[in-house]
Amino acid sequence: MNKPNIFKREINYVLLLLPALLIYCTFFIFPTIKTALYSFTNWSDVHPVVVKFVGIDNYIALFKDSIYLTGIKNTLIYAVLAMLGQNLLAIPLAVFLNKRLKTKNLLRAAFFLPAVFSVLVIGFLWNFMYSPSDFGLINQLVVALGFERINFLGDPHLALYSVIIASVWQWVGYTMVIYLANLQSISTDYYEAAKIDRASGLQMFRYITLPLLLPAITFNTVMGMINGMKVFDIVYALTGGGPGYSTETIVSLMIKKGLSEGFYSYGAAFGIVFVILVGFITFIHFTLIKMWERR
Amino acid sequence: MNRYTKGTAVTEILLLVLGAIFLIPIYYLIITTFKTPADAVSHPMGLPVNITFVNYVRAFKAMNYIHVLGNNLIITISSVAGIVMFSAMAAYSLVRRTSHFNRIVFLLFMVGMMVPYQMGILALYKQVAQLGLMNSHTGVILIEICYNLPFSIFLIKSFIGSAVPFELEEAARVDGCGVWRTFLQIVFPLLMPVIATVAILNTLGVWNDFMTPLLFLQSRSKGVLLLEVFRNIGQFSTDWTNFFPMMLLAVAPLILFYIFMQKYIINGITSGSLKG
Repeated sequence: MNKPNIFKREINYVLLLLPALLIYCTFFIFPTIKTALYSFTNWSDVHPVVVKFVGIDNYIALFKDSIYLTGIKNTLIYAVLAMLGQNLLAIPLAVFLNKRLKTKNLLRAAFFLPAVFSVLVIGFLWNFMYSPSDFGLINQLVVALGFERINFLGDPHLALYSVIIASVWQWVGYTMVIYLANLQSISTDYYEAAKIDRASGLQMFRYITLPLLLPAITFNTVMGMINGMKVFDIVYALTGGGPGYSTETIVSLMIKKGLSEGFYSYGAAFGIVFVILVGFITFIHFTLIKMWERR
Repeated sequence: MNRYTKGTAVTEILLLVLGAIFLIPIYYLIITTFKTPADAVSHPMGLPVNITFVNYVRAFKAMNYIHVLGNNLIITISSVAGIVMFSAMAAYSLVRRTSHFNRIVFLLFMVGMMVPYQMGILALYKQVAQLGLMNSHTGVILIEICYNLPFSIFLIKSFIGSAVPFELEEAARVDGCGVWRTFLQIVFPLLMPVIATVAILNTLGVWNDFMTPLLFLQSRSKGVLLLEVFRNIGQFSTDWTNFFPMMLLAVAPLILFYIFMQKYIINGITSGSLKG
């Protein structure tokens, strides 16, 4: 092949890449770089034109402001508990569903169903079910059982946990489906051999199933954690961040303070803290999984 | 382990009971849409005494359903088509060319899988306004494409690497077939399994995304179903039987999609995650 043809070929390969790269740079790479730059300035609604470099002032102010720290704390509690809840329920569920059941497909479809509903709709639905009024489904049950009505979303000590329960309910089936697929790839030979050695069901789970589930455990816990850190919709629909700031999360604060109230550079700094936090947690997470793998 | 024993039967019955309890919220959502307010209060869990469709008629009007559904379809279909096309093109180029530049580009895309895009939401907001894309479907579609590119490229790239033989392309090249024709006529048709996964995952993701339309679509005539649900909650918060149909109508197309494509959706999700 002659030179111009090779050149044309290479150009065409670049052209294939171009649309994706262009969109990606415009809407992700540039805004990300700009966010990092803004975080060192005083840009806000109060200082919209004369933007000055202020060093790490925003970051210092951020850590002095208890609202942001509350947001980080709430987000971490949410992410860890929702991730643990989903996975601790999904693994046994998947193990039971992996038996030779006649209604396996029906059950799988049923448990997965909530994941198809949008998070916002699930949030509103649980908002109604948690209601302390006469209509609230869960409180009707609580009263029927002879207890006092519980203000699930209005009590600052309970609200975050109520949000977590709704979220675990929505995603447990999704998580379970991934475990189930992983389980189906495990050869039954292992279990046959273990049976000959008279291993108990629990022993088989501990020494065969759990180690071989590692790919699904890694995926589900890492994604569960990262998605948990990004939580927004469900909080928005259930509590709007309240009561007080008791369910405010990182992303909800970024939108409320950064966008709506015009503290742009503050929001940007918070965004950078957010990324560092997610990166740090993901790193620890992978290290823990590696350690477990080696054992 | 391969026979249907008594133990399995007991497990099965217990799981069916558990599944039924698990689905109570959805059962509650559906039956309430057919009830009168009085009926909903007096026996919330029972079947409707007199089935009424008034709630649906009202919800249909309040949401401007057909028009807004159209917006949803425009946004979802265009975004998914864009994601599939652009990520397949990019993934193909990234597999077949391993220059320094391409390696850096791939790394950049992988960063996007880790970094939550919400961090840059303020700068993105500015950027979209500067480009004149605020309050437009084009803006939302481009944003949806952008944030779903990394994972889609990752999935398609690993599929091409493992399942598309290079020999086939060599033969095409000898026959004088150019890069684009090779991609469109030979490679793309072979990608269908992974394209199905990418399309399904993104259909669910784009349809259910609330934050992007919330931030970037201000006028009501351009909004999506979830925004209508959100806007109506205040107005109908005391009138549950009118609000419940809105929630169901907002996700109804997806539920239909799920009922008919259940097997493909679940397969798509599992193959997408266990390869990742």
